[in-house]
This record gives sequence, C-alpha cells and structure tokens, in this order.
Amino acid sequence: MQVDDTIREQAASWAAATGDPAFEDWDAFTLWLEQAPRHAEAYDRTVAAVGEGVAILAAATPANDAEPAMPAAPRRRWLGGVLAMGLAAFLGLAFWRQGAPDLYTVETAPGAMRIVELGAETSVAIAGGSRLTFDRNDPRFASLDHGRALFTVRHDEDAPFRVTAGEAQIVDVGTIFDVRLDDEAFSVAVSEGAVQFNPEAEEVHVAAGQVLSRTDDGYRIAPVDIAQVGDWREGRLSFEDETLAAVALELSRATGLTFAVDPASADRTITGSILVDPVRKDPASLGPLLGIAVTQASGAWVIGAR
Amino acid sequence: MLRFLRARGAGDAAEDILQDVWLRIAKARSGPVDNPRAYLFRAANMTMIDRHRSQTQAAQRERDWSETRPAGSEPSPESGIAASQEMAKVLALVDRLGARTAAVLRRHRIDGLSQRQVADEMGVSLSTVESDLRTAYRAMLEWKERSDEA
Repeated sequence: MQVDDTIREQAASWAAATGDPAFEDWDAFTLWLEQAPRHAEAYDRTVAAVGEGVAILAAATPANDAEPAMPAAPRRRWLGGVLAMGLAAFLGLAFWRQGAPDLYTVETAPGAMRIVELGAETSVAIAGGSRLTFDRNDPRFASLDHGRALFTVRHDEDAPFRVTAGEAQIVDVGTIFDVRLDDEAFSVAVSEGAVQFNPEAEEVHVAAGQVLSRTDDGYRIAPVDIAQVGDWREGRLSFEDETLAAVALELSRATGLTFAVDPASADRTITGSILVDPVRKDPASLGPLLGIAVTQASGAWVIGAR
Repeated sequence: MLRFLRARGAGDAAEDILQDVWLRIAKARSGPVDNPRAYLFRAANMTMIDRHRSQTQAAQRERDWSETRPAGSEPSPESGIAASQEMAKVLALVDRLGARTAAVLRRHRIDGLSQRQVADEMGVSLSTVESDLRTAYRAMLEWKERSDEA
C-alpha cells in the first residue's frame, strides 16, 4: 500500500536520524509523530526491527571478520552514559541472550510424527504422543518430557548435546540415539557413536548397538539391533522383551488409536516387530503378528495374553 | 517534553514516563551536557524504545505460553532452526544492501561511530550516510514484518 510505504520510508528516515547522538531536531520529529498515531507505531516497529537485526548481524560476525578497527574518535563526555543506554537498548536486544533459557515446547498428537531441526546436522525426530522442551538460546539441549524421540546429533567436543529425560541425563559422544520415557519404560538406545548416561551419577557409557533401560532395581544394558533403533520413523515398531503395558503405550503413540492392556497380563513380555500402518487400519491383525489377544472394548483396543 | 512523549505514544502514562526519564538521567549522567535539551529528548526517546521492547517481549512470552498448549490440533510449526534461519536472512539482507551501505550500517550501529565519523572515515557526505541507513533500516523493518507474519 502506498500510504504504508510512505510511512515506512519516513519511519526509517527518522529512526536513522534520531539514532545519531548528534541529532537535535526533536521538534520536527515531534511534529511528524503528532500527524498520526501510526507514525509512532511505525517508528517503534522500525527501531525494534533494526535493533534485532543489528544484534543478529553483530552476533553473526566473528570478531576477526570485522573491518580493521579504527581508533575511536574522542566523544563528548556526556555521551558515554547516553551511548551506554543506547547500546543497551539497541544491541542488547534480547535475541542472543546467552545464559537465560528461552524454552519452548513441541508436542505431537498420537499417530503423528515430527522432525525438529536444531541447526546444521542436528535434528530430533519426535514420535507421536510425545512432548519435548527445547531452548531457543541453547540449541545443544533438549528435554524429553514424555514419549519418544530419535536424536541425530553433530558431535561437538566443546558443546556436547545434552538430553534430560525425567531425572536422567544423557550426553552425546557423537551420535544417533533414541530416548523413550513414559509411565512404563525408560530407555536409551544408541545406533551410532555413543552416549554418556548420567555423567554426574552412574556415568554409564552406552555404545552403538546397546540399549540401556530402567529396571526395578536399577539399569541394565542389553544389545540392540542397530537397524531397529529409531525404526519407528519408518513406520515400524520393534519390541524386545517388552511388557504388554509398554507395547500398548507405544501402539497408542504410533497409531493415534487407543490401546489398553488387559491388567491380568500387563507384565507379560513379548518380542516382535510390526508395521504401524496395517495395524492402524486393522488393529485386530496384531493378534496373529505378536501372538496376543486383541479385543475391542469401550472405544479402546485391549491387548492381552492369549 | 510531555507533548513529545504523548506524540511518541505514551498517552496517559506520559507523566509517569517523564519521571522514569528523570531517574534515568540522574543515574546515567556523568559529566557536563552541552545540549541539555537534545540530551533530555534523547533520553525520553530511549525510554520509549525500551518500553516498546518490554511490551513486545511480554506479548512474545504470552504467545510462547499458548504455543505450549496446543488446542487439540497439531502444534504450530516451531523449531530451533528458526533462529539460524533468521540469521541467514539478516545476513542475506545486508549483502543485498551493497558493500557501502552494509559498511555504513556496521560502522554506525555495531562499532558505535557517529554518522559524521562514518561519513568522514568513508569519504562520503553525511547525507549519503543518512540515506544508506534509511535504506538499511527500511529493509530490516520489512524483514521483521515478514518474519512476524510467518
């Protein structure tokens, strides 16, 4: 729009003028502002946008990439305070606040799947029915609140990638790993590289081809087929000695349907591998595949021992 | 001064804000001021800029909060790559400005030189510096508007 464009141009012009310590024509600026309330809005938006943009630019420019520094010309003394305020207002813009976490949450619906990119070569595939928390100011951190996620992480010795899952902490050592946390299970399976589990406490090293899981009396490490780690991303679920209760949770997460477990056989364990899509279409087909009983009751698919 | 603050969007809060401006000057002042009037206006303008920023941040937090509670539907696309994408956009934008305009922007805004100093250093007129900054600011406003829409 023509009008908007004119105001934008004027706002940019005033933002440039008033940003200079030598600017003195505040009366003319006041007159322009008084012409329309939209002028002040446009000016504020411009100054904020420039502050943010310049903060990004400054953060993106390595110090040694900048042009040769020129000796700072002597400034009038009173400018010191004003510049300090001005710089705080302009450059200190809360974009790259190191230290202060700026958390956000990503939640997937059951049956859905999502990939979150955390910068180059680092991504998190999130299974259905899961929730993770990330930090805008720290791309090397994630928290699995519940559910399941496969982390593909670029290793950086100086800034290891950390995942917290409940009480547990996992630190990457160059890695693709799958973390799962829900009411029934906690496990960390590694398909490439290795992770340090709870480096402050147990300090367990979990290598590629191993899965660490929580048991009633601690943790255990077992071998895992590397091809199976994170295979849920390809629409496959693999169970290795899993309780039916845990299987029901996984199935609900992956299909978006409601699976429950027959309390009588909640602790029964099974081993097997299934494709999610056919099960979503015909939940009863699970029966022969996994050797279990599947019945339908009050809107849920109930699985149990035969 | 109150008239400026009202025009600047302070509305009924103008008098309270003027108090803030005085406090701010009392705290920051470290030596003689050679143009007290301009100094005062500048401090008032900074106060309004800060005010605008804290209001936008509060609104942003509000939005973040509601994002964490998806209303039954798929969560809105949200990813950590957003920040690095914005960084790439800003760098591309500055590249498009051309070498001189980009240099003017950096010297004035990152290195803290006054517009006059930038003009002298680069051997261009003050109005060239002003016009380069106007172009750069305009481009940043448009970048921000687009990124807010997305």
